[in-house]
Amino acid sequence: MKLGYIFISTFIFSSLVYWLIPKQRIRNVFLALVSLVFVFLLDKTAFAIVLFLTLYTFGFSFVVSNSQRKSFYHKISVSGIVLTILIFKYAGVLDKYFTDVIRYFSFTNSHNFESLLLPLGLSYITFKYISYLTDLYWGLNKRADFFDLLLYGSLFTIFLSGPIERYERIEKQMNVERIDFSSVFIFESFERITYGLFKKFVLADWIGYLIGFVWKNPDEYSFIYHSLALFGFSLQLYFDFSGYSDIAIGTSRLFGLKIMENFNYPYLKQNISQFWRSWHISLSDWIRDYLFFPLSKISANKVWMFVFVPLIAMGICGMWHGSEIKFLYWGLYHGAGISVYQLWALFKKKRKKLKRFTETKLFNSLAVLITFIFVTIGWLFFQ
Amino acid sequence: MEEKLINFIKGEYLSDEDVEITSDTKLISSGLIDSFSLVSLQTYIEKEFNKRIPAPRITAESFDTVKQMVEIIHQF
Repeated sequence: MKLGYIFISTFIFSSLVYWLIPKQRIRNVFLALVSLVFVFLLDKTAFAIVLFLTLYTFGFSFVVSNSQRKSFYHKISVSGIVLTILIFKYAGVLDKYFTDVIRYFSFTNSHNFESLLLPLGLSYITFKYISYLTDLYWGLNKRADFFDLLLYGSLFTIFLSGPIERYERIEKQMNVERIDFSSVFIFESFERITYGLFKKFVLADWIGYLIGFVWKNPDEYSFIYHSLALFGFSLQLYFDFSGYSDIAIGTSRLFGLKIMENFNYPYLKQNISQFWRSWHISLSDWIRDYLFFPLSKISANKVWMFVFVPLIAMGICGMWHGSEIKFLYWGLYHGAGISVYQLWALFKKKRKKLKRFTETKLFNSLAVLITFIFVTIGWLFFQ
Repeated sequence: MEEKLINFIKGEYLSDEDVEITSDTKLISSGLIDSFSLVSLQTYIEKEFNKRIPAPRITAESFDTVKQMVEIIHQF
């Protein structure tokens, strides 16, 4: 509940003060500082990392945009961010092994790797800063000043659960002469937050309550109940996560900001590729732009492109979700799904009759069902 | 440039030779091209026109029609 109180009080305070500030530039600085205080109140370690990563990214942005050796500095800067996320994601997991080694040699009993467990929001800020530096390297961004970068990285409305916005989109909205307050912001914000709260606290939590009995005592229930519980879990995850996204989009709207959509009816898609363009869209766009495309260009070999690239990209996507091995399996499962789908698309392309059949309503309905079942089975890794 | 792109897209992504596409046909948003499969288009543009288009520009919003592709290519 602590998190909820901090979020609500930060939101109410900052949205009132924000519109009292006459200059947009000062509003942005204010919102950046408020976001930093929000992170500090949540988690002191996260606060330190946000400051460190922002200074690090800000420092490297000069050489990535201006140096003669852009490519070199881009690689170094991104590697540093990746190293940061790896340390914080896996230090806690490695704790057990370190402990065994330390005990064996009896040097000391005191260690505290668990305190290095991934602080809140770190996965999101690292992906945001990698995209910022890469877009800067590609010439898609202007170099940000410190407070713009800090606001982009730590904006409290999207800090904890995304979407993983791109600097280019946020920058266009921040660096305007002035955003004039409009009652539309209140209506749109209220509407979206209400949707989000309904999805999260009514639909997701009630479904969770209903299926909780099956998860707690699985031996007492038959296969049918297990299937229904898994189906419910699939819906619970969607309503929960998309509810949070609605709240993030809605609260940002009260500051005049338009944050990208993160879901687009993902369970009504006809294949796994379409699913990933509709589920956690900001993450799958990120995976596509900064992993899928660059990896695909390493080799034109079909096996590499159709098998290894989806497995590697989605494997990393899985690892981003958490440090436990089950997330890697979940990512690989989806990578295999995308791989099979791409091979299927290639197969049917050359067969006119088959292609015509795949365009019928019957086939499309079946495809939606199969995709939903595939995704739902995948959620077992999350259980 | 438009004609070259249309011919490449027809050969690479569309199975039916009789499918007609123009410079305004929506390709990604209509599902004719899967956005995950656009790597080959990026590579083709790089080789044919010597222009490297970053992946964030190859989206359904900015790279949906051949006309949009030509605009983006001219930007780089």
